[in-house]
Amino acid sequence: MDRRTVLKGLAGAGGLALSGGLSAPAIAQGASARTLRFVPQANLANFDPIWGTQYVVRNAAALVWDTLYGIDSSLQPQRQMVESEETSDDGKTWTFKLRPGLKFHDGEPVLSKDVVASLSRWAARDPMGLMIKALQQELTAVDDRTFKWVLKQPFPKMLYALAKNNSPCAFIMPERIAQTDPFKQIGDYVGSGPMKFAKGEWVPGAKAVFEKFADYVPRQEKASWLAGGKQILIDRVEWIVMPDAATAAAALQNGEVDWWESPIADLVPVLKKNKNISVDIGDPLGNIGSFRMNFLYPPFNDVRARRAVLMAMSQEDYMRAIIGDDNSLWKPLPGYFTPDTPLYSEMGGEILKGKRNLDAAKKLLAESGYSGQPVTCLVAQDQPITKAQGDVTADLLKQLGMNVDFVATDWGTVGSRRAAKTPPGQGGWNMFHTWHAGADCINPAPYTAIRANGDKAWFGWPTSPNTEKEVSSWFEAKNLDEEKAAIGRLNKAALDDVVYAPTGFFLSYTAWRKNVSGIAKGPLPFFWGVSKTA
Amino acid sequence: MLSYILRRIVATLPVMAIVALFVFSLLYIAPGDPAVVIAGDQASPEDVERIRQGLGLDRPFLIQFGSWVWRILHGDLGTSIFTNLPVSAMIGQRLGPTLSLMTVTLLLTIVVAVPLGVVAAWKAGSFIDRAIMAFAVFGFSLPVFVVGYVLAYIFALELEWLPVQGYTPLTEGFWPWLQNLILPAIALGCVYIALVARITRATMLEVLQQDYIRTARAKGLGQGGILFIHALKNAAVPIVTVIGIGIALLIGGAVVTESVFAIPGLGRLTIDAILRRDYPVIQGIVLLFSFVYVLVNLMIDVTYTLVDPRIRY
Repeated sequence: MDRRTVLKGLAGAGGLALSGGLSAPAIAQGASARTLRFVPQANLANFDPIWGTQYVVRNAAALVWDTLYGIDSSLQPQRQMVESEETSDDGKTWTFKLRPGLKFHDGEPVLSKDVVASLSRWAARDPMGLMIKALQQELTAVDDRTFKWVLKQPFPKMLYALAKNNSPCAFIMPERIAQTDPFKQIGDYVGSGPMKFAKGEWVPGAKAVFEKFADYVPRQEKASWLAGGKQILIDRVEWIVMPDAATAAAALQNGEVDWWESPIADLVPVLKKNKNISVDIGDPLGNIGSFRMNFLYPPFNDVRARRAVLMAMSQEDYMRAIIGDDNSLWKPLPGYFTPDTPLYSEMGGEILKGKRNLDAAKKLLAESGYSGQPVTCLVAQDQPITKAQGDVTADLLKQLGMNVDFVATDWGTVGSRRAAKTPPGQGGWNMFHTWHAGADCINPAPYTAIRANGDKAWFGWPTSPNTEKEVSSWFEAKNLDEEKAAIGRLNKAALDDVVYAPTGFFLSYTAWRKNVSGIAKGPLPFFWGVSKTA
Repeated sequence: MLSYILRRIVATLPVMAIVALFVFSLLYIAPGDPAVVIAGDQASPEDVERIRQGLGLDRPFLIQFGSWVWRILHGDLGTSIFTNLPVSAMIGQRLGPTLSLMTVTLLLTIVVAVPLGVVAAWKAGSFIDRAIMAFAVFGFSLPVFVVGYVLAYIFALELEWLPVQGYTPLTEGFWPWLQNLILPAIALGCVYIALVARITRATMLEVLQQDYIRTARAKGLGQGGILFIHALKNAAVPIVTVIGIGIALLIGGAVVTESVFAIPGLGRLTIDAILRRDYPVIQGIVLLFSFVYVLVNLMIDVTYTLVDPRIRY
């Protein structure tokens, strides 16, 4: 072997590697007016909306899988795949009939057996599904288009459960896919939604492609969120994942992408100045910032310590840390439910209103018996919202005279450590920060964070019998007035016991090129009705 | 020579085994849980536990490690916890962009850094030398992402000459491929160019003091011939070494560069996998990178014989 041979070999190998089978699909080039290039809020790393319940999976799944009912912009369930439904006089038997002509992407018709299998898988994972499953006597296919759900007692929120946009949604899959264990991931992505998933073009972490499903039969009604006619006006949607916000902003300005779902607040002024870009509030239901205190260990196992923190905290501080100086993007939240929705309540919210009383808070903290032990505060530094909140909390606790053990870490570690029930000094914790989509906080059904059933509750394991009592009252409510009354009492009970600390309500923007039209405000990006000109 | 290469390749196996054990152990004890990420923020602790069981993450360390090694021995890097795709397929999807970026950066570095170092040595102490060395310090000091943002702002947003982000495979044409790589390669190459230029200058300065260079000058050889044929060839061994070591820098730098320029390469796959705790993917990539690094060292050793025929193995 001489050196010429080696050099030729190296050059040949390099050329082969660069031009041959190692190539990946184009990310940036060749877009046309029939292709919409979209930058999602996060990476689509898996694509099973029942197994993985992240919002980004739900958002992509809404293109590929349809639901029996869909929630509309007035938060009401509307028929989607269903043509009609009947309830027995005792309210225990629901009989549903599917619309004719529904087809899966593989050409097979959508049958009742597919629905039964899909609902069974969904009910094993969804909080409302679990409630229905606990009441279930039988779920059966009557004929190809009719299925029946027989319960042991009435469940008035049935249609809401089937329509809700909270993850996991009750998506309908072919029976062969829906029979997959709900705790294992599916590998076949056939749905009956308005777009097909181009599995061959999927580069997890970089790109996902959806193509228009020609055989989809939209409803005749006007589209409204997940309800109505899902008319697809483009041939192809490309989801281009961009981990760096500055790059996404530059790509939008440069016309390399058409729609950026969640621009960060710092870059919005730049986008607003660009004459080719529109910027508006993306989701009017916004988000609720929060931090949770661990009910299992001192000092927050004492309600007085929790109330002392609530008494001293300034929601404005938190919101300014998250949003900046744009006052139109946030509002104080003396409660737990999403502002401007039918069940919003401020009952019991006095503790979060008005001038903050640090002295009274210090006194209450002292009464709780706090004696300077470290307070382990988990703060994910890789999530701007949690980092901002964590910094404010650390300052707040110091002002209260607390000994802060500030654990700066990443979200993955917080996600794992918050599940530890061990004492704070032995791998456990006292506080962690997060936030909740406003769409999940419109009522108690999808609102895991508001539950206060101790060991079975969300992290922090709050115990508040009064809160739980009012959750049940809401589920049993027969009309909106009863629901409102139950939520008012629930809000007060949860604040009295400080199930968690709400840090405020905030909105975020979405941005798109002006040659794109039809973008609707909502809790997820809706692609039906969206069109693009060259 | 051939037997030497084979011996070296065989010698990589224990290195890889140690890397495998180290990586697996480190991930096992590292905080974080992929089941939590999969289940989503609203999931109950019971749901998370069921997912952990489904993924086999609740099994003892030795059983998990044993089954992983067994699969590796059968050429199976496993399946991604999140995507349900084979790790080898995911790496295959991402290899092209990273290889392209590293190749263009490497070529750019050699074409720019070596002549700069040679000229700096030739004009040692002059304004040109100082300017080149100032550039080298500049290149060392600026983080890759800062250079990347500045380049994207000037050449993509302001001048609109090049795209901000993305990757186009070579199969779709040379220029589309190259135009997506120019800015990332410059951003990534800055540190590398600075390093190689400084080493070239230092080595050349030493060589230019040698007697045979004075002899060459006395024989009336031209400056170009002296610098690039006689001096550079004799200074090549340390330069080649640094270029090789620098490939490790490229692997690290690619992680940042690929994020800044949204290139779907191995660097981004690594970051995504770490943030999600996608253990099989992390393990597969680290094994690949360690293998590449061992291979690069082997190539450097072989290259010594090409640039200096006195070296024999």
